[in-house]
Amino acid sequence: MTKQTKVKFVHRTSRRQFLMASGAGIAVLGLSGTMGSRAFASGQQLVVADPGGPFTDAFGEAFYRPFEEATGHEIRNIAREHQPTSQVRAIVETESYSWDVVIVTQADQVLLDGLGYLEELDWSGEHMDNIMPEARTPVWMGTDVYATVLCYRSDTYGEQGPQSWADFWDVERFPGRRALRRSPIDTLEIALLADGVSPDELYPLDIDRALAKLDEIRPHISVWWTGGAQTSQLLQTGEVDMLPTWNGRAQTVIDSGGPAAIQWNQGLYSIEGWAIPKGNPKADAGREFIRFCADPQRQAAYTDLLAYGPTNLKAYDFISEERARFLPTAPDNLEKMILANQDWWGEHKDDAEERFNEWLLS
Amino acid sequence: MRELRAAAPADTLKEAGSVEPSESGGGDSALRASGRRALAAWPLLPAFIFLGIAFVYPVALLLGTSFVDSSGELSTVHYTRLYDSRVVSRVLTITFEIAAWTTVFSVIAAYPVAYLLSTVRGSTRNTLIIWVLMPFWTSFLVRTFAWMVLLGRNGAVNQFLDILGIVDPPTFIYNFSGVMIGMVHALMPLCVLTMLSVMESIDHNLSRAASTLGARPGQAFWRVYFPLSVPGVAAGALLVFITALGFFITPALLGSERETVIVQLIIFQIKDMLNWGFAGAIAVFLLIVALIIFFIYDRLVGLSTLSGGSARAETNAKSNFIGWVGRRLGGLFIEVMARGSDLIGQGMERAFPQRPDKPRRKGGRAAIWATALLVIVFLAVPAFFIIPVSFTEAQFLSWPPRGFSLQWYESVLSNPVWVEAGLRSLLIAISAGGLGMLFGVPAAFYIARKARFKTAMIGFLVSPIIMPNIIIAVSLFYLYARLGLVGTDLGLVIGHTVLAVPYVVVTMIAVLKHYDERLDHAAYTLGANKARTFVHVTFPLMRAGMVAAFMFAFIISFDELTIALFVTGGQVTTLPKKMWDDALLQVSPTLAAVAAMVLVFMTIVILVSELVRRRGVQVQ
Repeated sequence: MTKQTKVKFVHRTSRRQFLMASGAGIAVLGLSGTMGSRAFASGQQLVVADPGGPFTDAFGEAFYRPFEEATGHEIRNIAREHQPTSQVRAIVETESYSWDVVIVTQADQVLLDGLGYLEELDWSGEHMDNIMPEARTPVWMGTDVYATVLCYRSDTYGEQGPQSWADFWDVERFPGRRALRRSPIDTLEIALLADGVSPDELYPLDIDRALAKLDEIRPHISVWWTGGAQTSQLLQTGEVDMLPTWNGRAQTVIDSGGPAAIQWNQGLYSIEGWAIPKGNPKADAGREFIRFCADPQRQAAYTDLLAYGPTNLKAYDFISEERARFLPTAPDNLEKMILANQDWWGEHKDDAEERFNEWLLS
Repeated sequence: MRELRAAAPADTLKEAGSVEPSESGGGDSALRASGRRALAAWPLLPAFIFLGIAFVYPVALLLGTSFVDSSGELSTVHYTRLYDSRVVSRVLTITFEIAAWTTVFSVIAAYPVAYLLSTVRGSTRNTLIIWVLMPFWTSFLVRTFAWMVLLGRNGAVNQFLDILGIVDPPTFIYNFSGVMIGMVHALMPLCVLTMLSVMESIDHNLSRAASTLGARPGQAFWRVYFPLSVPGVAAGALLVFITALGFFITPALLGSERETVIVQLIIFQIKDMLNWGFAGAIAVFLLIVALIIFFIYDRLVGLSTLSGGSARAETNAKSNFIGWVGRRLGGLFIEVMARGSDLIGQGMERAFPQRPDKPRRKGGRAAIWATALLVIVFLAVPAFFIIPVSFTEAQFLSWPPRGFSLQWYESVLSNPVWVEAGLRSLLIAISAGGLGMLFGVPAAFYIARKARFKTAMIGFLVSPIIMPNIIIAVSLFYLYARLGLVGTDLGLVIGHTVLAVPYVVVTMIAVLKHYDERLDHAAYTLGANKARTFVHVTFPLMRAGMVAAFMFAFIISFDELTIALFVTGGQVTTLPKKMWDDALLQVSPTLAAVAAMVLVFMTIVILVSELVRRRGVQVQ
């Protein structure tokens, strides 16, 4: 990972002392760098930023309440924005730590760590050792795994649903309306997999080849989607018959009785997890919280409400088989899938986006 | 605008009556004159100081990063990249095209509605206005999903067409028409209210006078009424256009892959790349192009028509070529429309001769009613959809609703976060609206009546709308972090007021165009001081405009998401933010229930305030 030089747009000299009042009423004056050392006073309040919605309930039950009981710290969870990278940057640069711990995707972790915005974690302990290797970096611990999978209407295709991305491209055998994501992320991989590229040769992505393959399917794409909730709606109303989307969004349709099915084969999985904004005075308590979240039993607890996969695979000892079917890291599902290479994306996202947009607008 | 002055001598007289200090003159007196002028500019100060601190300063810091490279050295690297990128210019063109077409459709559809509203009785008018305002009270998120369900492949409209036996219905959404439906629906009320507040001040006796002199209704309308209503059209079009530049969720959800707009590129650079320098460069580019278009627009339709300067000097081809072209074109347009409608009128009279013993037919009136009602139905459709869907038993927004259930209302009302978010949004919107009026109204008065460099001033005051919200949001976070305002309601109010001021200014300037200052002078002559004159003369006459201006400021705040996402730091929540968080996995009927409650609540507020006002009038 190359360390880019960061440009601060607020100069240090112009920064004033400010009052940062945390909910617990601890007023921290000034900007001394020694604040981290006094983090261990018991009964601290940690502000934890999660994606909101169903995460609030699921993580509350699995992590927040048990952590409060176990440690005496207090967790105040807030709903962060869908992609909170600029907030993290702003928090670090202005040293106004309105968040102590935040969930970021692996891709955003690569970006934020590349600019030095994240705090080192404490990787000691048995549970931490059991976290799957792809969910570990010095500054970030994966908490849940989500996957971009081929989802389709089971009432359209019945038992004979599409088996692979090549089937998605096969408009003769699988007639029906299709949607793709209006973004190069995952879409380029999907095109290459459909073109027969083997998973271990997927990266570095051949953008030209991917776009050429996308040319073939483009006339058959009815909707280019942009948001997760939109894909649930498309699938639920039958606007399209198949599309790649995150497994959680398809699960919402399945859970509400909609005729939707998930094809795990050739799915692309990604991970989101906890990180601490650099320089946070409560970083030690934050590290303690993150280690707590590695506990397989705790991770298993959120899967009742959230269809995402635990990163500590020992969690499956505590998860029923019926539920495990819907979780990306269940052994049967995980072996069919491919890890999206976020390091490649970290270096090429700008270029890929430009090329993809150019292709879309052509 | 020749016709305008000919038809409205009162206007000309008014303009002639206001004397400006002479431009020429000796050095000393010129200096004193400019000093006086600066002092007299105090009404501008609140708006300029406020925007200076809460908009220009923080945003300039962020945009400043576009002039340095990754090592912090001064550099044009971001602008070189901008120049080289084929995507940016293409997307910018698309953005302006979408905004332009949205403006055209909004103006055309809004005009008959505003015209009808300005001519019907009070109670009918208020009922109709409630329908026109419907899009305002249905959150943008719910509204957009409503269109998806209504116009989708298996949507309500296609179900209906299926019953009629139309097998291969057209595709309404996921293409350009989808974007137009979504955006025109959202923005047309802006146009209706701006036009209405101008049309209310048009003296209908002028049209009657034209009829008495033998003009057919078409002639009277195009030569007399229409030119007088142009300030409302110009202001409404301006507001729709610059607001449309910032729309990105509607094109993203209802458009095809080709409807990518500039804000999306900026958001990608800000969030996905953390490349604020390049994001800043795109934003600067957008601002410059938008201001150039604004400048040409101003010359073309004459901001003079916006701010009452047209009568002062006859423009000629040399001093203001664009303005001259605009005038010729405008004159030609009116000529063609007037003659055309006259020919149709003549034809109609020949085909269906009028019997002198029968009262005059009112065919035109019926046509206006029909058109306006059609437009109003379009505006109200999502509301009609949302209310039944909020009682559904299904887990998704779908049509037709299934069964009857109060579960969605229960889940909203039993959750204190929803209630708190609703109350906070309401209070913040009222505060931002009030502050916006406080800053915007004096500035509008000054600009409309006295200011020089009107174009530049209005250009500056509308730039907060042109600047993408995400740039303002990130910038404000840095300012607030130093002031300790992150996560405070005050921070939200300030951020929303920045967006509210431009709407107030433009609306008020349009209304002031027709305001006859001699009424104020008459009040002074009769011994009233400035305050009394404002309360008893100016305010009552400007009421419609003020209400519209406040309404815009209110709704801009009430529906705002991006700034709330940032400056709250997630610590407090507003209604749009809570809805956004809730829609992570799906847009559930919960959101329809929230939207329905807001809709009903706002309608009741308007009805009650109307009732109270009417009581007040009766008592007086």
